[in-house]
Parts: sequence; structure tokens; C-alpha cells
Amino acid sequence: MAGDTFDTRYASWKATTAELLKKVPERKDVFTTLSGIEVERLYLPKNPDEAYLEKLGFPGEYPFTRGIQPTMYRGRLWTMRQYAGFGTAEETNRRFRYLLEQGQTGLSVAFDLPTQIGYDSDHPMAMGEVGKVGVAIDSLLDMEALFEGIPLDRVSTSMTINAPAAILLAMYIAVGEKQGVPADKLAGTIQNDILKEYIARGTYIFPPKPSMRLITDIFAYCSAHVPKWNTISISGYHIREAGSTAVQEVAFTLANAIAYVEAAIAAGLEVDQFAPRLAFFFNAHNHFFEEIAKFRAARRMWAKIMKERFGAKNPRSMMLRFHTQTGGSTLTAQQPDNNIVRVALQALAAVLGGTQSLHTNARDEALALPTEESARIALRTQQIIAYETGVADTVDPLGGSYFVEALTDRIEEEAWAYIRKIDELGGAVAAIEQGFPQREIRKAAYETQRKIESGELVVVGVNKFRIENEKQPELLRVDPAIAEKQKAKLERLRQTRDNALAAKRLEALRKAVRGTDNLMPYILDAVRAYCTVGEICGVLREEFGEYQGV
Amino acid sequence: MHRETIRVLIGKPGLDGHDRGALVIAQALRDAGMEVVYTGLRQTPAQIVSAAIQEDVDVIGLSCLSGAHNELFPEVVRLLKEQGADDIPVIGGGTIPEEDIPFLQANGIRRVFTPGTPTSEIVSCIRELVAERRGEKPAEPVMPSPKKIAHVAIAVRNLDAAVRTYTELLGFRLLGTETVESEKVRVAFLAIGESRLELLEPTDPSSPVAKFLETHGEGIHHIAFEVEDIEGRLAALKRANAQLIHETPKAGAGGHRIAFLHPRTAHGVLIELCEPHGEVDVHKRQA
Repeated sequence: MAGDTFDTRYASWKATTAELLKKVPERKDVFTTLSGIEVERLYLPKNPDEAYLEKLGFPGEYPFTRGIQPTMYRGRLWTMRQYAGFGTAEETNRRFRYLLEQGQTGLSVAFDLPTQIGYDSDHPMAMGEVGKVGVAIDSLLDMEALFEGIPLDRVSTSMTINAPAAILLAMYIAVGEKQGVPADKLAGTIQNDILKEYIARGTYIFPPKPSMRLITDIFAYCSAHVPKWNTISISGYHIREAGSTAVQEVAFTLANAIAYVEAAIAAGLEVDQFAPRLAFFFNAHNHFFEEIAKFRAARRMWAKIMKERFGAKNPRSMMLRFHTQTGGSTLTAQQPDNNIVRVALQALAAVLGGTQSLHTNARDEALALPTEESARIALRTQQIIAYETGVADTVDPLGGSYFVEALTDRIEEEAWAYIRKIDELGGAVAAIEQGFPQREIRKAAYETQRKIESGELVVVGVNKFRIENEKQPELLRVDPAIAEKQKAKLERLRQTRDNALAAKRLEALRKAVRGTDNLMPYILDAVRAYCTVGEICGVLREEFGEYQGV
Repeated sequence: MHRETIRVLIGKPGLDGHDRGALVIAQALRDAGMEVVYTGLRQTPAQIVSAAIQEDVDVIGLSCLSGAHNELFPEVVRLLKEQGADDIPVIGGGTIPEEDIPFLQANGIRRVFTPGTPTSEIVSCIRELVAERRGEKPAEPVMPSPKKIAHVAIAVRNLDAAVRTYTELLGFRLLGTETVESEKVRVAFLAIGESRLELLEPTDPSSPVAKFLETHGEGIHHIAFEVEDIEGRLAALKRANAQLIHETPKAGAGGHRIAFLHPRTAHGVLIELCEPHGEVDVHKRQA
């Protein structure tokens, strides 16, 4: 549309929006302030210039700086998606149902570390970890219990699972089959972002090359069979939690995204065939305006990358859709109720930055998993932003702010410099193998710690405004008997399932791994035969080997 | 056998992948002059114990944020005992609720650090544990020696008269005078070598110096020692149960950061710790 004037672009945007409104009306006919002043859908500069069209444009249009939909939250609020999971599948199922009753609109599953690292609950490496940071899933039996009474065609489910993502997705598909919900009706996300595991999160299993194969197999399988599934959630969240700056968070996340797109293209996929299903996941940290600018910069950069670098034609391939979680590492163990305020401000930044879904942390997460009460306050925090503040009533309310636009430009500029550096190193995978992002993050994390200790960076209640003899809040404890329960369940499963069939399916998978077939159908067959996460990952470990940290 | 450098093993037991804390602490210990062996992620207690013995470390530091600390930390201590290496002290940190600390300590974890702990506190804890283990407690004092006597302060009833005595009769050179509002005193500074004498006259009956004059009469009021890292020193004194008048530094004369220790702490002497502010040199002070 080069050469188009502002007026023609604006007219075309208005026409598109009018079409959209026929299909998807807004939440209200008229939005007003509390004084009765009408709030418009979109505010624009009085004298727009070329630079405005190039850098900002219109919401729902390239380069998507102002948001990925023309009406944003006037049409539909973001998805309130609280990450939850602990103990057994039955306990987590109760928490899920509670959250749905409280008005949550999507599920988000936290798995325990043995599940995330592909060990069954009875493996020696699982000692002390079963059910601790999430729910323990060993086999389809557990997955069936996890979604008991929750119709999979009526919720969307996000699963924080990476190295064994193919297995957990296969289990979800299999639960759908049992409920009579076909795979093409399933909606949700698997995190499936192994590169950031090597950089920051640590739940890797296999070396990069076979890991990339599993990921591209999932892309290909889902584009044919599970079209509504977000096949990856490329995550800056954990990079930030590991101590990176906002610029590094954007840069390393987009560099990883570039690597996934390149791998998928190398595996023979068409860019517009899988790119619309790529999703992102960012952190909402403390610096209010920098965070808002970061989200806007990330959207603009991704649009450019997809259009210019990969030649995508479908605008959906260029849209950076993202989930946000408030920054866990900003929470303090001291005066934990202060965390409610931190979370509210971070969540507000995410909303002003145009997030598609949001998790707000609970006040007690620097101490333990959230109690039911603190999980509810966390959800209420987003509901207050959504329903009381009016910030959702106009698109990109901070667009045009001198400060926010300057920060957006600056973050973009600095993030491009990192991406160029990573390209020089041979791309994200090579850079990770050389430890480049890891070192940069480590330096930033140490710098932050030094600033906190010198008092240059104030952490309220920690290095300033402390109180002595704080009262300890009530914490959630995971029943230590869970490991025993889970082991007994596994033992029963191994006695009652068709073990010959399970062994046959595992051998079929092993053969497929040695060849070039898409592995998803083999994994799905193994899951249906109640092969466990540990058994399936065991085969993959034997064939692929294991990654050793840098 | 005796080596100067402290060697620390930082271990990540279990499956937890959060290593930001472990890495930051490893770097802080290195900056404090220690040698650090970091095990990397996903170590079993047995691997950590065998690495500690092999690397001949002085202290083991464990980090866990997954909630598995109650299982994994005591297992490390148990295996050390089994290998006859339980003289290596074990400390730990992570997302650990306060209520778990007594259990961990009862199971041989010497210190547990919770979120928000400054790395300087961990550094001094390790130094103390190592000094204790090497049986060389005060040989290498945990606290560096104060640098010098910053000043000796004398309480007087009439500052002008006292200044005349010290300059005209005793030959001291007057550097200047200053009123310190917070202490409600007028102070005269007199040069003596690299130190000073300070003459203190109360400006108000509620001044601590006025009270001193009431009970003791004129005479030596306190001795001030110049130190570095006044916060660290106060924290260490607090840990040692010393009685402090100020637990955190406050602004004193000349913008220095000062804090007083109770006379009961130092055998009847009121001690002031004084961290100089920037490069202020008393000899250049305007008279």
C-alpha cells in the first residue's frame, strides 16, 4: 500500500471494521466515561504524516503496532487465563472447575517437573518433585481425570509443556476422542518452545536438532488435523525471569521465533501454512511504560520479520498474538500483600500493551503455590481492570504518547541490534550453543542484584520500607503422600493395561524415530495404549540422546 | 593443607530449572574472592555430595525453587554423613517458607536464606562457617579492623572556653565548628595527626550530650572509629547480639554516615562507627 495517503488507508480501515462489526459486534453500542463523554474506538493524530502510517498504522493492519484487531477489547476482552496445577489430576481438576465457576475464561495447566522432564512419578530423579510445581501426569489415565467434567469443545486450554509437548498434546487429543470431541474442534496452546529452555528455563531433555524435529512435526500435524491449536508459544517470559532486560526479552524471543520459522521452512512447510498458529508469551515487569512499549515494539518487529524476511502473504502470519504473565521474580516474600499492587500495575501494562490473554500472579508466589483465596484475588485484579477502569474501551490508548512512542522506537532499535548479532553467530540455535544469550542474561541479572544491594533499585519492603517481625501468611502445602499415590496408580496401570500392545506401540515409535516420518501419529498411538510419559520419553532419550547444559 | 581461598560448591538438586539465584550468588561469591564450583542443573543429592568431596570444598550451597527442599536438602546432609564428610557445612536457599526452616535446620542445614537476602549476608555467613570449620576463629577476623581513630569526642559545657584552652594552652589547631541539628550539639574540630578531637557543647537540654554532662560531668564522651561498609558491620554486630543504638547508619557531622554502639557492648565506652562521606578531608574543611 506504499504511496497510499492517510485518508485512503483510514477509509479502508473503516470499511474493514464495519464489515467486522457486522459479524462480531462490540461489547456495548456506545462506550462512555463516567461523566458521560463518549469514548471513540480509535484516536488518531490531527495531522498524520508518512511516518505515522509506516510506524503505527491502524489496529488490525500491518505493522500491527496499535494492536492485532481493529476493535481490540471493545470487541472482546482478553482471555483471563490463570496458570494452575498441583498435586494429583483430581485435585487440579477441582481447582480448574473452581476457576471456571469464578468467571475464568480459559484453562492453563501447570505440570510438575517430572512430567516436564519426561520421568514417571516412580523414577528416582522424581524424588521430592512429584506434584510440587504442577500436576503429575504419567499416563492418559491422569489426563482423563484432569479434564473430567470439562467439555473440551467449550474451553481453550494452554499447557506449559515443552520437551514432551507432543506427548501431552497427544493425550489431550485422546481425551477429546473419549469425550467425542474431534481434534479439529480442540482449541488451546502448547508452549513447545525448547530454545528458551536451553537459554533460561531448564526443562530440556533432548539436544537441539531432534527437539526441532519434534516441534516441526507438531506444526505439520496440527496444520492438517488440529487447525485451531496454537502449536507453539514462543516465550520471552522465562528469559525475563532469568534476569534479562526488556530489550533482551524481545530480541531473544524473536530470534528464537526466527529459528523455528526457518526450521519449519527447511522441513518443507509453507510459511503461511503454519505461521498463523505461532503464538508468543511475554512478561509484564515493573517499569510501566517500558513494558507497554515493549509489547508494541515486539508486534511491529514480528510483522516486519514475517513480511520482509520470510515473505509471508497472509496478514495472520504477521500478527504477533501473545499471552502475558506478570513478572514472578518481581514478587517479594516480604510484606506479600504488596504483591497484589505490583501485579495490578503489571497487568495494566499488559492490557495497555494489547495482550490477548493474561495471567496475574498471586500475592504468595514468592513463598509457595497460591492458596485458593490468593488465586481468586489475582483473578479479581484482572476483572477490576477489565470492568471498572475503562482502559479496555478504546484501542491502544497510549498510542501517540511522545514518551511511549519514543520508547517503542528505542526498544525496537536495540532489539534489532541483538538480532543482527545472533544472525552473525549463525542464528539462535548456534548462539545458544555458544552460550551467547545465556551470558548476556547472566550479566543483566547480576547487575540488577548489585543495584538492589546498593539501593539504586528500590524494592519496597526489601531494601526500603521494611518492617520487622512480619506475620507469615497461610500457605498452600502439597500433600507429600501424592508421590506414593501416583506410584500406586502407575503400578495398577502397568498391571491392568494391555502390556503387549503398549510395547508394540513403543517399538513402532522407535522405528519411526530412526526414519523420517512425522512422529505425532506414533506418539498418539502410544498414548492411546496407555504408554506413560516416562516410557515414551525413554524411547526418545535412547534414540535422540540428552542435552547437556552449556 | 591450609589454604587461603574459600571453595564453595553451589548445587541445584532435583529437577528445578530456576538457576538465576544460583548463578547470581556464584558470581557474588567469586567477586568476594572465593572459588566457586557450580554443578549445573538436575543433580541428584549423591552427585552433589561426590562433587563436593572430589572438589574438596569448604561449604555446600544448595538452591531449590520447586518446593522439593524438604526432601532433597536433608538427603545431601545424610549422604555427607554416610561418606564421613559431614564436617562440610551445608547452607541453602530458594522459595522456602519460613515454617520449613526449623525442620531443615534440625536436619543439618546450617543456614537457610529466603528470597530478598542480600548476597553480602551470604558471603559473611560462608566466611563465618569456614572460620569455624578451620578452627581459626579469630585468626582471620570476620570483620576487618577499623581503619583509624576518626576522632575522640569530649563533652564540654562552654565550647568557646574549651576551644581557647585546647588551642591557646595546648597548641591544637582549630579546623572549624559546626552545629549538628540531629544531635543538638555544637562541635569544634581540632587537628591531631590523621585524627581529630571533637569538642561537644549541647545546644538544647534534651541533647544526649546535655544528659551526659548531667550524670558524668565534663570529660571524654565517645571514641569514633572510621570503617568501611558500615551497613555490613552493623548487620554482623546485630547477628552477634551486640547492643546497638542505631541499627542503620544516619547522617552525622560532615555528611559522614555514623552509628553508635551501646557502651555495654564495649566495656563502658560509647563507640561511634563512622563511614566517611566521599572524599571529604577534615583538614580542608572551611574554618
